[in-house]
Order: sequence, then C-alpha cells, then structure tokens
Amino acid sequence: MRRFVPIVLTATVLLAGCQGGGGGDTTTSNAAFDPATCQGGTLTVLNQGGITHLDPARLYTSGGGNLPSLLFRTLTTRNRQPGDAGTKPAPDLATDLGTPSDGAKTWTYHLRDGIQFEDGTPITAADVKYGIERSFAPELPGGAPYLRDWLAGAADYQGPYKQPDGITSIETPDDKTIVFKLSKPEGDFPFLATATQFAPVPKAKDNGVDYEKHPISSGPYQVESYEPKKSLVLVRNTHWSTKIDELRYACPDRIEVTSGLDSAVINQRIVTGAGQDANAVTTDAVVGPEQLAQLGTGSELDKRVTRGEFPSTTYLAFNTKKAPFDNPKVREALSYAINRTSVVNALGGSAVVGPSTTFLPPQKALGYQQYDWFPAGDTGAPDKAKQVLAEAGLSNLSIELAHENDDSEGIGPKVASAIQEAFKQAGVTVKLNAIDTGTYRDITGKPATQPGLSLATWGADWPSGGPFLIPIFDGRQIITAGGNFNLAQYNDPEVNAEIDAINALTDPAAAAARWGALDAKLGKLALVLPLTHEKDVYLYGKNVKNAYADGWRGQLDVGRVSVK
Amino acid sequence: MIRALLRDRGFVVGAVIATGMVLVAVTAPLLAALAGQDYTTYHDTLLDSARGGVPIGAFGGVSGEHWLGVEPGTGRDLFARVVYGARVSLGVAVGATILEVLLGVGVGIAAGLGGRWADAGLSRVIDLVLSIPSLVLAISLLAIVPQDWPRPLILAVVIALLGWGGTARISRGETLSLRTRDYVAAAQVAGAPWWRVARREILPGLTAPILTYAALLLPTNMVAEAGLSFLGVGVRPPTPSWGQMLSTATTWFRADPAYVIIPGLLLFLTLLSFVLVANGLRRVLDPRQREILR
Repeated sequence: MRRFVPIVLTATVLLAGCQGGGGGDTTTSNAAFDPATCQGGTLTVLNQGGITHLDPARLYTSGGGNLPSLLFRTLTTRNRQPGDAGTKPAPDLATDLGTPSDGAKTWTYHLRDGIQFEDGTPITAADVKYGIERSFAPELPGGAPYLRDWLAGAADYQGPYKQPDGITSIETPDDKTIVFKLSKPEGDFPFLATATQFAPVPKAKDNGVDYEKHPISSGPYQVESYEPKKSLVLVRNTHWSTKIDELRYACPDRIEVTSGLDSAVINQRIVTGAGQDANAVTTDAVVGPEQLAQLGTGSELDKRVTRGEFPSTTYLAFNTKKAPFDNPKVREALSYAINRTSVVNALGGSAVVGPSTTFLPPQKALGYQQYDWFPAGDTGAPDKAKQVLAEAGLSNLSIELAHENDDSEGIGPKVASAIQEAFKQAGVTVKLNAIDTGTYRDITGKPATQPGLSLATWGADWPSGGPFLIPIFDGRQIITAGGNFNLAQYNDPEVNAEIDAINALTDPAAAAARWGALDAKLGKLALVLPLTHEKDVYLYGKNVKNAYADGWRGQLDVGRVSVK
Repeated sequence: MIRALLRDRGFVVGAVIATGMVLVAVTAPLLAALAGQDYTTYHDTLLDSARGGVPIGAFGGVSGEHWLGVEPGTGRDLFARVVYGARVSLGVAVGATILEVLLGVGVGIAAGLGGRWADAGLSRVIDLVLSIPSLVLAISLLAIVPQDWPRPLILAVVIALLGWGGTARISRGETLSLRTRDYVAAAQVAGAPWWRVARREILPGLTAPILTYAALLLPTNMVAEAGLSFLGVGVRPPTPSWGQMLSTATTWFRADPAYVIIPGLLLFLTLLSFVLVANGLRRVLDPRQREILR
C-alpha cells in the first residue's frame, strides 16, 4: 500500500465481556455494556487529519476505514475483534467470505437479504459492480491499486463515464450474485473485499466528482453535513438496522467529527473531558509525552486508553542500483551501525514504537518470524560496522540520507538526525537531504530521481504478508513512471515465483508461514534496514464505553463505542 | 560619555549580561569541552523511553556531567546545545544588524544628499521595504533557498534584506537636517565631492542615532531568528539555536518544563540586556533626551 493515510484508520470492538488480550492490555471500564441498549447520545471525534474525499472510490483504507465504514458497507469487512482474532475478515453485505474456484482465480459472492440504501432502495449486485467500476475512473483517483492488477482484462478500463459497458470480468447473473474473474490466483481476495471500493453505489444517484458531497449510505449513519478536511456530521440511517448488520453496533445517535486539530490539543481535550469532550474519541492522534507521563498503571487515565498495533514498519530504503549501496557490505555495515533506541526515542518513545530487526512487523497474521541477521543490539554495534567496512576496503564513507522536511509522517528530521549520529559512531559521515513532504513520495517513488538512501514507512492494507512484501520486493512491481515502492529495485525471478505460489494459497495460515520465511530470506540480503514498528496508544473520553483496540487496525472502532 | 553611561544602572546590568552572552557564544567550543560534552552525541540511557523519552532525574536530568540536563527525545547535552545555540542566535542577530546598518545608512545618505529624483525614488524603495510583511516573505525565501548554502549566513541576509528600511529612513531624515548646517554647506561650496561630504560631514553626525537604533535592532533581529527557527525554516539540525529549542520544547512543556525554561530564560535575558544597553545609549547620546533628564 501507499504510505498509510491516517484518517482512514479502522478499529474493532467486541463485547466488553468477551475481550481477549490480543492487541495489548485493553482496559474495560464498562463491564455492563450491552449492544441492545447502548443507543443514544452524541459522539465527538477529534482528529488531526480530515477526510479529503468522502467518495468510496477515492478512499484508501485498511479494512474499510473507521469513519468510512459507518457509511459504506462492503462485501466483506474486518470482524472487529481484539487481538489475533481481529485480523480476519467477516462477511458484511455478502453471506460469506466468498467461494473460490478455478484455483482461487474466480470468487463468487451472494448478497444477504433485506439490505437497503439510505433512501430505502434495495442494494443489488449491480450496485456493487458499479461501485467498483467507478473506482477505475481517472476522475476519481486515490483508491488502492489492487483491483486494476487483479481483475482479468481491467488494466486499461477507464471507468463507467467513458466506458459504460463496464468490466466484463465482474459478472452479476442475478440481483443477489456477483462473480469476480481474476487474471491470477489471489487467496487474499476476501481481505481486499473489505476496501470501500466494494461498497455499493446506486447508478441513478451517481453525480461523478460531486458524489462525495452526499454519498448514498448503506451503513448505520448518513451524512448530514460534510466539509472536506474540516468537519463531518453523521445522523442515523433509518433504513439500517441491527437485523441486517451484526458487526456495527451504531450506539450514538449522532457523530460529529472535527478535523484539523493539533495532536497535543486533541489529547489534552480528551484528558480534561470538559463538556462534549467527555464523549470524545480520536482516530488519529496517538498520545504524546504529556499524557504518557500520566499513564502510570492504575492511574485514572490508564483506564481510558486503548493499546493496539497497526502493522507498519519504518525503515531505511537502500537503492541498490546506486553506489555505494550496490555493495552488500555497505548495507550490512550500516545494519550493524544502527542505533534503534535513539530512533525509538525520536519517534516518541517505547510506548508508541518498538524496535524492528525484521521487515514484517510482529503480527502473527502477517507471518512474522523473528530474525536479526546483523545484530546491532539496542544501541548499535559501531565496531562491528567499522570492521565490515574495513574488510570491504572502505573507509571514510560519506553518504546522503533523504528524509521529509517535517516530522508529521515519522520520517522527518528527528529520525534522520538520530540515524546520522548513529552512523557517525561507525565512522560514516551522513549528509541530511530534507525533501518537502508534499513532493517526497514523487521523488523517492521514481527510480530516475530516487536517492541512494531514504527513509520510508510501509503499512498493511490488510493483515497478511502479501500486501506487506509484494510491493516492496516483487521485481515486476518496479514502476519506472513513478509511484514505485520497490525502493531497493530488487528483481529476483525466484522470489517473484515464490510470491505467485503463495498468492495461490487460500488458507491464510499456510500463506503466513511462507510469507514469514520469504521475509527472513530477503532479510539476509540487507535490501532494507528495518527500524521500528508502530504501537497505537489512544485516549478516549470519560463517558465513552466499549472502546478497545481491534486486531486489524490497533484502535477503537467508532462503529462499536457508546456514549450513553 | 562613558562616565554618564556607567551612572546608568540599567545600562551597566545590560552591558554585563550582554558581554557575558557574547563571551559564551565566542567561547562555545571551549565551554563545551570544559563540560566534557558536545552538542550532537545522543545519550539514550538518560531517557525514560516508556514515558516518551523524557530525561530521567530532576529538572530535565541535571547532573554533574550534564549541567543543564539533557534534551528530551534525544539525550543530547543541553549545556553544549545552549552555548552553541548562543552562537547562532547572536551571530545571526549581529550579522543581520551590521548588514542592515550598512545598507540602511548607505541608502539613507544617498537619498538625503542626492537630488530630488534620487530622493523620491529611494524613498519609495524604503517605503516598499517597510511595507513588506517580512515574516511571510522570509519564510517563503528560506523555504526555496538550496539546503547546502550556509544556513546562518542566509538567515542573516534574509533578515537584513527585509529589515533595513528603518535605518534607511532615519539616516535620510538626519542627512536632510544635517545638510542644511553651515559646515556641510561650506564643504559643498568648497567643492568637496559628495562622497567626501557624506563621509566627513554627514556620517559623524549620524553615529549617535544609528548606534542607538542598531542596539534596538539587535534584539529585534534575535527575535526574528528565533521566530524563523521556531517555525522550522531556521538553522538545520543538528545545529542548535534557541528558537529551534523553544520550538521542539512546545511538545514537552508539561512533561519536561526545564527544557522550555532554559532557552526561554536565556532568550529573555539576552533580549532584556540589549534593550537596557540601547536605552542607556539613547539617554546619553540623544541630546534632547539629555536635556529632558536634566
């Protein structure tokens, strides 16, 4: 996936009583929570980033997003459970996770009964197909790129406005059935079907780029007002009920989202909890040092926090086509020299990030296997690094490190300075190259302009090893025109073949083991230098009940919290 | 004159602090070496990572080794960063002030001594410079300057380019009043070229007001540097500056108050000292003020 977009986070919740350990020590202050009687009140959402485009075709979410998932039901969705159980998809509009045939190249779904749009029109398979076709329109960019790659014969499709005949590899034999024909086996299809591109869109109500002003809801709420990046007010959709949707509880009567706030302000407001802020949650402002100091075990604030982990890795990307990083010894030496403790501190401390020696983050669902081929210890092994460089006949190495010019995405000057200092201990001089955050991806994502060494992050589109490893290491995914994520520019036919073989597996557990093994094998080549993985610590307001981190996204689910 | 200055208690206090700060800035490497620290080394063991990276220990981790404690999030020695930060803060401010005075006095005298058209043209230029929203322009200028150019120098030049209007206007006004004096007229009648008139007759008369004004410009420029660094377009890391330290401190002010207090207090003291000095100079050098005082 792309660098992860903070607004579209997701989370899940289960009954407080059934809470497992999972994503962390979730706290329960609401033993008496009952989804049948939780309705009422207004939930306030305080966020840093706002939703730029509220169009299901344009949203780039993991598991359907936290707020978007209140409006857009999809064929499948995340199952909203804590811990490892939460990393699995669950049927949403469909009756099951889909039936694979033809070696996972064909996926068939049946829609459940009684589902309706906010205007009472029944949702049909044609609406789902139309929603997907819209996401191919160049007028509506922004969504995940998988469908174009996976659907047979869809690579050049230009959307229903220019090509109203639609995509032939999506078939709707009747109103309740939808069949997808893929160009290659994809065992992860039920995970992809959680994306908002799989939300139904009524063709009669589609007004192109203006659709986002009032998208037609299939979920528990509908839009009352929406101002891009600033505010969103949701009220109940009377044509939705818990009879046709068991996953969303939709407790609050009204949800008011305010965006564009400062992270410190959001957390301070939730801590204080004055007035409406007592009913407040945030889906993108992780706690800062101010709150961490007050989060001691047993403290009042400690009861109002969810701890989870979104699978995400921050790493140093080597461009192996550029000297000196074409030399494996240089990459190994730097892997020995890295001081992960100072990187962790630069990113907010051990409460919100953890050190990583593997590219896959430590989630079982992704197939995580522990390895540390170039042991740097907690604070780096500069002597070992010097030795490796000396053996390779390199001394007084001087390199340049590209990073974003602000710290908002966690790959800015703070982390870069920490790395500069660590490499200095190993006798390597680092010159910092700050690139404007707005153009950073354009420059690093184009092999012609990509720097030799750059900071990067990668998050999971869904909890599986595939979307984590394929864009980074599949040699056929090197995109020269721009938007490239295989920053090592690594292309090994053997690895590509293994990727294809794992993709054909429909058993997630079997696939996970092979993804983990592949990651460990690739790790030996030091193509990337993993730094940290993300931990999510979010505060919520005094009156908020049934808030806990789900296993998919690592944060609370707005669809399940209550403020009554 | 010196005696008059020394009688002004404010001036003496200000001068002592200001001299101290300048000394600190000049001897920064020596002071850091004396403390046995440098401003780039990370000390991870001195931070409480679980609490977001706040320094372990009282008042920001003050100890025999780290006299002012360490920086939260990195563990870099604060004493070393503060003394090196003084270099940037004072260096940029002094550099910018010198440039402003050179440019301002030059343009001011040229406008004052030049003909009607030169005066009109230059005065409009001065008006233009004075009316530019300097902060906005400075931010945009600094954002497009290539990164490998020496940052403190660029900062000084940008601040000076946007701030010489006041000096120029004062110089022009003084020049216009001085040129009506008999001795200036005599020099002109005697056939002295304009540049000699400017240097020998006008410039000495300008010294007092410009010196006073420059002493007031210095703290203004220091605030400008701090502001620009605070906004993230100042010096690049790992080079420290007080404004930059204040900027990072905003996220720490509850968790580690010492980190805000130290650079804040230093900035305050330095600014105060320069204002006191400027005030003292004005009182002594400005004849009208002197008369009022008597």
